[in-house]
Amino acid sequence: MKRRNFLRTVGAGSVAALAGCSASSVDDGTTTPGRATIDGTPGGTLRVATYDSFTGEDTAGNYLKSAFEEEYPDVTVEFTTPSNGVNQYIQRKQSGASIDADLFVGINTDDLVRADGQLDESLFLESRDVLDRASALDPDLEIDPEGRAIPYDTGYISLVYDESAIDAPETFDDLLDPAYEDALITQNAQQSDPGQAFLLWTIDAKGEDGYLDYWESLVDNGVTILDDWQPAYDAYSNEEAPMVVSYSTDQVFYGADADLTRHQVGFIEDQGYANPETMARFADTDTPALARLFMDFVLQPDHQGQVAERNVQFPAVTDAQLDETFAELAHEPPETVTFTYDELQGNVDGWTDDWARQIVGN
Amino acid sequence: MAHTGRLERAVLPAAVTATLAVIGVVFYYPVATVFAEALLVGGRLTVDPLVSVLADPFYTGVAHHLVADPAGIPAGVREWVSAGFPSVDFGLFGFTAYQAALSTVASVALGLPGAYVLARFDFRGRETLRSLTIVPFVLPSILVVVGFMAMFGRTGLFNDLLGTVGLGPVEVLWTLEVVVLAHAFYNAPLVTRLVATAWESVDRQQIESARAIGASPTRAFLDVVIPVIRPALLTAAVLTFVFTFMSFPIVLALGTLELATVEVWIYARVQALDLTEAATLATLETVLSLGLIYLYLRYESRQRATTGAGRAPPRESLVVGWDTLRSPVRLAAAGYGVVVAVVFLGPLVSLLIESVTAPDGSFTTAYYEFLLAQQASTAVGTARPLPSILNSLLYGAGTLLLAVPMGVVVALLAIRGGRGSRLAETVLSAPLAVSGIVVGLGLLQAMVFGTVLFGYRLTATGRVVIVLAHAAAAYPFVTRTVAPALGGLDSRYRDAARSLGASRLRAFVDIELRLVAGAVLAGAAFAFAISVGEFDSTVLLAEGTDSYTMPVALERYVNNRSLGPNLGPATAMGTVLLAITALSFVAIDRLGGRWEQ
Repeated sequence: MKRRNFLRTVGAGSVAALAGCSASSVDDGTTTPGRATIDGTPGGTLRVATYDSFTGEDTAGNYLKSAFEEEYPDVTVEFTTPSNGVNQYIQRKQSGASIDADLFVGINTDDLVRADGQLDESLFLESRDVLDRASALDPDLEIDPEGRAIPYDTGYISLVYDESAIDAPETFDDLLDPAYEDALITQNAQQSDPGQAFLLWTIDAKGEDGYLDYWESLVDNGVTILDDWQPAYDAYSNEEAPMVVSYSTDQVFYGADADLTRHQVGFIEDQGYANPETMARFADTDTPALARLFMDFVLQPDHQGQVAERNVQFPAVTDAQLDETFAELAHEPPETVTFTYDELQGNVDGWTDDWARQIVGN
Repeated sequence: MAHTGRLERAVLPAAVTATLAVIGVVFYYPVATVFAEALLVGGRLTVDPLVSVLADPFYTGVAHHLVADPAGIPAGVREWVSAGFPSVDFGLFGFTAYQAALSTVASVALGLPGAYVLARFDFRGRETLRSLTIVPFVLPSILVVVGFMAMFGRTGLFNDLLGTVGLGPVEVLWTLEVVVLAHAFYNAPLVTRLVATAWESVDRQQIESARAIGASPTRAFLDVVIPVIRPALLTAAVLTFVFTFMSFPIVLALGTLELATVEVWIYARVQALDLTEAATLATLETVLSLGLIYLYLRYESRQRATTGAGRAPPRESLVVGWDTLRSPVRLAAAGYGVVVAVVFLGPLVSLLIESVTAPDGSFTTAYYEFLLAQQASTAVGTARPLPSILNSLLYGAGTLLLAVPMGVVVALLAIRGGRGSRLAETVLSAPLAVSGIVVGLGLLQAMVFGTVLFGYRLTATGRVVIVLAHAAAAYPFVTRTVAPALGGLDSRYRDAARSLGASRLRAFVDIELRLVAGAVLAGAAFAFAISVGEFDSTVLLAEGTDSYTMPVALERYVNNRSLGPNLGPATAMGTVLLAITALSFVAIDRLGGRWEQ
């Protein structure tokens, strides 16, 4: 009896492997979606690919889903959250696998640059010209010269500091001062959005030829570069250092009644680095009109207010309806800095790699 | 009878074929699709990417001359000698190997005394403690980081404790030392568990015989005990080196970018979709790891000792009243206990404390209420804790049931002898030596995107594939724990059973496997641990939120900001994960212990 069990256990592996498989016919994928408009009542399923914290209880994603489905009862919004983000779809396109989504929510400028650099055909469809709400967009946030990626909110990278320990540094050179020795925690630009934004900000300030020297001095002054935003912010919360690279909306998390001593927002050079988040329709979508309808919906003044507050970011349109407390606690930098698509194209990988090699080589 | 014989003869080949089929589909093929990026350019075999990495001083330091300018080496060496032997830099690979070597030494130093205490002394709770040794092994790295930060940070528990005796504070975060310590936190348990298992199989009769012919206790220890524990100790050391060589999140989160390893670069290259360079780095990493494993296996095959069939010598009581204070060994064990409390218990207890501490330092149950709220939530995209616990247990059990026979089958192949079998076991050990990032990428390309065969795109994801992928990652642990024990068995036991009419298979299952039951059990516990702790492949193969595991849910809670930007919810889930896995390990050992007798 034992013997048979042994056999069955070993055999089960290969049988079950087959059971988990699926097969679909490979089509040559030559269909081109037009700029369809919707006749009659919108219906069907809209598949939205996004990052995982956009969905779940009380998130911007879930708010949008409920509101959209309430307005268009025949529509169902489905979320999919691939762990490797937009790379999943770039790689799918490269390997000829199907794109199982209509819209991607959460694209950064460098994601778009990477997608275009990797693919011959565009992964995304033009949207700006077909959106009713395009004119309401804050022009500073429109990162895509081809109008595919449409901003829906933005963060401003800034310093968050402890005012009981230090004064905010006013310039990048201040950060090299002995007063700020071992004071700053930032993130690895190779894998963290705010980390990369901070690096790009220093490139903007010190130039392509000067930023590496600047970083050498920064390292000499004891900057700590951790892997991602969360560990960095956690280290800051544990008082490992009095300053961290983070977002200018920091105080929103704590509210006006909280002790905000350790949540002061500092704008170096009176600037903040803008990191707009955008959405774009996949070129392979079979419901381009429904996806367009959703994008316009996201850009409505009331929904923009909700997205901003739930995502703890700033809205992307000029007429968003924002809660007063939010406006009070979310600090906007006097001046914003950001690299355009054209400036990043062909440069961002090299800049980041040179930077990382220098840090490790130290 | 003749029919049964034929069937039994077919069992081993069939088991080998099934094992190879599983690892071929969920490991070798996917990984090969990635390595192909390093070796094939436009469909043609090339060494260009390999050469450009090896010739890059950033990656290989002075060793880049070997590739870039071999003719200039003698002159370079002369220059170095005349400069008075300045320190030599071997680049990213050199640093990675250096920190792995330090981590291995630290893991052995911390783990070996534990094996001694567990194997040679009796005390209340010994069995349970032995089962719990593997718990650190399954902790997601983010929790180890949280635990270490709360324990060893500037305002951490350790500095508080030092303060009470008038010492400190010490600042160890962001140093190589704390990275090495965290690696030891993960891997010393491996040393303890493997060596304790071997130590318990020391034959009392052999020691008594040695003593009877006049050997001193030291002599008897060197001649009888050392040969038995040496393979286990070396196995653990080699595994620790290979793991810490591929270390990634711990290094960045506790050590900062300045202490980056090769794996950090692989991850960055994958993020940038520069798959050629990523695959090239990963290929080199794997070649180095497998080379080390091969050398070790050759060494092991020559050192095989006869072990394990008799009864172990009786354990001594650890606590013997006031006399405990007069026994140097027992006092040393107490000192070791303090070290264990600081290094292992410290971060775990800190994690527990963090899970009930609000950002302002007050007591809170908000993070556990968060878990309950997630469980009750009906919102789409919510990772609910209970299904993730059940999935983890299900996959863990499935992995255990699959990986144990797979690992035993491969162990049987490995101990057959001959140079070919060393090579075969090395190749079959590959799941230990391939970067988790590369395995994930391979599974993504080959299984999630699918493979085109005869005009059909075949994809495979979901629960069954997750278990298969976990089993492929876990079976080498079973092999590595079982093979040395099996190889050391006296063949007389098998011969005796067979002369009594037992078939080969019967003799193996009833006699040999039972004699190495301790090793099989240790392997089973590791298989379960690998499955429960696995993240990279699981998150790719899980379809939607239904097949999520505890580490995947935990990762989602890390990114959940509904209670503000803190790791509270993740620490609560981490505490749940700790409790569930601790209970599981105790259960596995209790159930297995029944079979052992």
